[in-house]
Amino acid sequence: MSLLSLLLISGCDLNTRMSTFTAKGPVAETQLNLFMLTVWVTGFIFLAVGGVYVYVVIRFRDKKDGNESIPSQGHGNPLVEMGLIGVSILLLVIIAVPTLQGIWYTHDVPDDESSLLGSWYTNGDLSEADAKEPFIIRAIGYRWWWEFEYPQLGISTANEMVIPAGRPIHIELRSVDVIHSFWLPKIAGKVDLIPGRANSMWIQAGDTIDAWAKKAEFEGTDNERLLAYEQYLEDEIYDYYYGQCAEYCGDSHARMLFRAHVVKDEDFYAWVNRMDAGHAEAPEGMTWDDWYASYDETPEELTGDVHEGLKLFMGRAKCATCHAVKGNPRAVGVAGPNLTYLAERHSIAAGWLNHRNDDNSVDSEAQLNNFIKWIKDTDEVKPGNLMWKAKGAGIGELDPLLNDEEIRKISLYLQSLQ
Amino acid sequence: MSQTESHDDGHHGLMVKNKKLLMWLFLGSDCMFFGTLISTHLIYRKLHPEEFDPTQLFSLELTSFSTFILLMSSFLMALAVSAMHKGEMKSFRRNVIGVIFFGLIFLGCQVYEFAHFMHEGLNLDTGTFGSTFYLMTGTHGVHVAVGVFWLISMLFYSQSGKMEAHKSAIDVEAAGLYWHFVDIVWIVIFTVVYLIEFIA
Amino acid sequence: MSTTHTTEVINPSVHNDLADLKPEISDLGLRRPDHSKNVIIDWMTTVDHKKIGLMYGAMALFFLLVGGFEALVIRTQLMVPENDLISAQRYNQLFTMHGTTMIFLAIMPLNAAFFNFLVPLQIGARDVAFPRINAFSLWAFVAGALVINFGWLLQALEMFGLFTASGATAGMNDFVPAMGWFGYAPITSTEFTGAGTDFWIMGLQILGVASLSASLNFIVTIINMRAPGMKMMRLPVFTWMTLIVSLLIIFAFPAITVALIQLMFDRVFGTNFFSVGGGGQPILWQHLFWIFGHPEVYILVLPAMGIVSEVLPTFARKPLFGYAIVVFSGAVIGFLGFAVWSHHMFTTGLGKIATAAFSLLTMAIAVPTGVKIFNWVGTLWGGQIRFHAPMIFAIGFVWMFMMGGFSGIMHSSAPADAQQQDSYFVIAHFHYVAIGGILLAIVSGIYYWLPKMIGKMWQGNLNIWVGIFTVVGLNITFFPMHFLGLLGQPRRTHTYLSGFGWESYNMVCTIGSYILAFGVLLLVVDIVRCFRSKQLAGNDPWDARTLEWATSSPPKVYNFAATPIVNARDGFWADKYGPENRKLGEVDESHGIHMPSQSWMPMIASAGFIPLGLGLSLMQAGVPFMGYVAILGLVIIALGISLWALEGPGGYHLHPKKESN
Repeated sequence: MSLLSLLLISGCDLNTRMSTFTAKGPVAETQLNLFMLTVWVTGFIFLAVGGVYVYVVIRFRDKKDGNESIPSQGHGNPLVEMGLIGVSILLLVIIAVPTLQGIWYTHDVPDDESSLLGSWYTNGDLSEADAKEPFIIRAIGYRWWWEFEYPQLGISTANEMVIPAGRPIHIELRSVDVIHSFWLPKIAGKVDLIPGRANSMWIQAGDTIDAWAKKAEFEGTDNERLLAYEQYLEDEIYDYYYGQCAEYCGDSHARMLFRAHVVKDEDFYAWVNRMDAGHAEAPEGMTWDDWYASYDETPEELTGDVHEGLKLFMGRAKCATCHAVKGNPRAVGVAGPNLTYLAERHSIAAGWLNHRNDDNSVDSEAQLNNFIKWIKDTDEVKPGNLMWKAKGAGIGELDPLLNDEEIRKISLYLQSLQ
Repeated sequence: MSQTESHDDGHHGLMVKNKKLLMWLFLGSDCMFFGTLISTHLIYRKLHPEEFDPTQLFSLELTSFSTFILLMSSFLMALAVSAMHKGEMKSFRRNVIGVIFFGLIFLGCQVYEFAHFMHEGLNLDTGTFGSTFYLMTGTHGVHVAVGVFWLISMLFYSQSGKMEAHKSAIDVEAAGLYWHFVDIVWIVIFTVVYLIEFIA
Repeated sequence: MSTTHTTEVINPSVHNDLADLKPEISDLGLRRPDHSKNVIIDWMTTVDHKKIGLMYGAMALFFLLVGGFEALVIRTQLMVPENDLISAQRYNQLFTMHGTTMIFLAIMPLNAAFFNFLVPLQIGARDVAFPRINAFSLWAFVAGALVINFGWLLQALEMFGLFTASGATAGMNDFVPAMGWFGYAPITSTEFTGAGTDFWIMGLQILGVASLSASLNFIVTIINMRAPGMKMMRLPVFTWMTLIVSLLIIFAFPAITVALIQLMFDRVFGTNFFSVGGGGQPILWQHLFWIFGHPEVYILVLPAMGIVSEVLPTFARKPLFGYAIVVFSGAVIGFLGFAVWSHHMFTTGLGKIATAAFSLLTMAIAVPTGVKIFNWVGTLWGGQIRFHAPMIFAIGFVWMFMMGGFSGIMHSSAPADAQQQDSYFVIAHFHYVAIGGILLAIVSGIYYWLPKMIGKMWQGNLNIWVGIFTVVGLNITFFPMHFLGLLGQPRRTHTYLSGFGWESYNMVCTIGSYILAFGVLLLVVDIVRCFRSKQLAGNDPWDARTLEWATSSPPKVYNFAATPIVNARDGFWADKYGPENRKLGEVDESHGIHMPSQSWMPMIASAGFIPLGLGLSLMQAGVPFMGYVAILGLVIIALGISLWALEGPGGYHLHPKKESN
């Protein structure tokens, strides 16, 4: 029966979005290798014991030949028992040794020079202390979204992290409410975010150049090596990876997804710089001083969808109470996801509403619809979330509620965050 | 009545009677129970050593006194069990009254201690220390109270004249086991919760 | 009293004995409820381990169907991506209650049903050591089951606008537990969950009392009540497993009891055991929970192993291969079970050393488990295997349990587990163990012992279809889940997006679950047919080996007319086929058989748990006067126990005629 299902399933695609079979980094690879080892060992036991079992059940069935004599009443054979126990222990040792190696290896970034941020980060100055640490991203779990802080780089984003390929990253795992779990199957197995506890893990998308060269047995000049490595990253690693919270965290646990966008160093630096600078200008190239002067004194002069969306964002809709948009001096809320360059993300609502084209561009029509849907039916998209129920703020408290036109304007403003 | 006995105790068992074995097993389980409570306390104590300084609050004199009282009650309990075995009802009653009296003194001390601590600001929700301390000592107090209730019931029962020494000796013995166990648990609590704070 | 209303068929000669008895008067001067004409009163006040066992079985089967129904709703919701059949909250309640129901209200009491019915028979005893405590355990279990499920009623009231929570959980409308069966702090705090958590806490606490008292009783019974000659190493393996499980229960349950008390204090009195704000550590809950929870896994599975260790020898007509090693490995599993709890927590950041230690210990526990499988195969080797219904399920058990064991070995490698933990892979693993292992063994046990329990024989070949549908259904349901997990679907998610390659697997799983459910339904039909069967089972329909088959089916109220003297392991087999000096002897009981009196008190005492549990929970939900209801519950319990002590054990004598046996 199981074998039959196995056959059925072997025809299926194992290279899906969150498949642990397509390991794209050393951590997931170690985990996959260990898993396959256990599959082989238990598969061997299955065939051996299962084979004997089937044989015994068939061979020693009651032949119904009228032979009613009682079979020999043997009570057991200690030697056979000891032998089988010995073999089982041996088989377990085959799993145990690499398991121990795996536990040590997957625990934290490799303890060598190339793991340090200072050894590869070339985008501006790092403090002495930061350079001597591994690259740190702090993943903070909220019900039901993710905050990703880059403490060494002074930036912060939500639900979609951008990371450089081939670089080891130490992830600090924190939770502000209940237990969550960070799971990015293609890159690393999960580790929990537990309130009151400083957990951590490490991830790396793709191999480092040295590890890759060793694995591919590449020989050639440094330059050729670099080019071939680039090609490997291009072919196999640069991608948009899917992750999800893996510890039950309440109503919308199923809708607490996240993404990791793995890019080349240059793209990563560009992204960091853009996130660091934030939205230096208000819509239509105005300075923030001018915009707020107008907002405070002659708001009726700020016309057009985007201006009006921003007015609602800052004012009646109370968005800025909880959300920050870097650059905008008055949008500094901390309770909700940071919205800096929100329109560049490929999903909203913690990965639940998606607007990504296959070529990795943003489908802006879908994006606009998603914004509208989220603002309008937030409790339906994510039951129990705080945006609706926020105490004292948020649109749940608005009177009157936002009308469709207002929601569309806010959405258009959000789309301008790119 | 001999048939009752033969039903109570099987043909082929240990030399321990059913009720006594039951009590032993229950106490084994209770050991795990108190073990969990005490280790919760110790773990949090180690985790937050600065959270609270109990040496300012604990009165070693009072607690030593109540510990002594509980020890003495155990002694009387042993006498009561032995009296029961000998069939000396009067001596049994006298000793049980002593146990109950001492048990009540212990409970009184604990009530006083709790009231005093609460007055001084140690409440159930005072960090983890308040939580673990009150739950652990309170649970022990409940055990003592149950024991006192049990002994009082026995006392009344013996007063009614229905108690027969050869029948009830096993019940008294079980109660005795329970009482000694509660006493021992207190000695552990006294050591690792009270005394140790003053050593460190 | 010339006709009996119970389903038990009592031999007329004995029956006259019962009828001749005068009503008994207890030490309190009240009339005892003995030999009642009223069937309902008879069953409510019974202290007969066989009736208690049957009641456990009936209630557990009911809850098995309830839990199964919950599972079907879950599977239907997951059939297609982004399904909105039920809300997220309802889904979370369903999976929480599915787990809680199956573990505490279905499998544990099903095991308890077998313990109760069989253990005294297997050791040649008249009853358990403490018949009234046994009745108390049963009724406390019923009280706990009611309390834990009470939330469904409130949830229904809430839907019609008839109830809202106030008090500490004001504004929350989850009246059914919705935090998963292991209730990880801090989601169980009043900040995140409502009255459902309180029902869950109180219900589990009451069920804990029931399990604890039952286990104490069984240990004493097995140690002290054995028939002459029934040495420990002659005990049937099922009885051995009962002993080990009972020991596990009395040492493992205190951990969860304390954890639940701490949680209750956190919720009611604002203590800080698990609240981060006050310095508490949520991780403490996980440790306490799994110190209980892992032994609990063996509490569930060891009786299944015991059942299979009885069925295989009977139908292979051979003694169990390596009896001593099977017993010993059971004990080792039980012991190691206390040392592997943290393998449920590999992803919580235990640190390298602890992770490594628990990884290795978990692998170590595979050895005694494997030993059992070798011994079962060894038992069949050289036998004369007869494929009757119990045997079919036992053979299926070994196969499916092996599958569950293999994925267990895969989890033991901590780095590999990091990908499997909390995914559908884990669900596949423990359902292979729970359904493929435990449930198949229990079904095997039902087919094996029900004729003994009710004295009637199975009819027809429906059992083959039960086997086909359950085994095929469970494989179709759970085998694809391995792949779902490895393809990244997390468990406990009420829905999922399309495009992740999970759609077809989920569809297959759902179809499989219907097939499985149909198999269970057929089982129920078959059981009903067995009850209505006209064919009598006779003492020994299977040519079996152990003592319970030496007496009549169903056994009379006193089990054995004369206590047997056992002279061999598999004593009854030796009596049938062994040499003269191994045959069963008889204790001279010319003075009559002493029987325990029936009593109201166990049920009254445990009925007090209902107002106690509901009162405390509803107090949290802000219902007025519930504190008093809780106090009332305590008073009832205290009163019940006091009257119980005062009414005295009583007892009466029967003089069965020898030839009736």
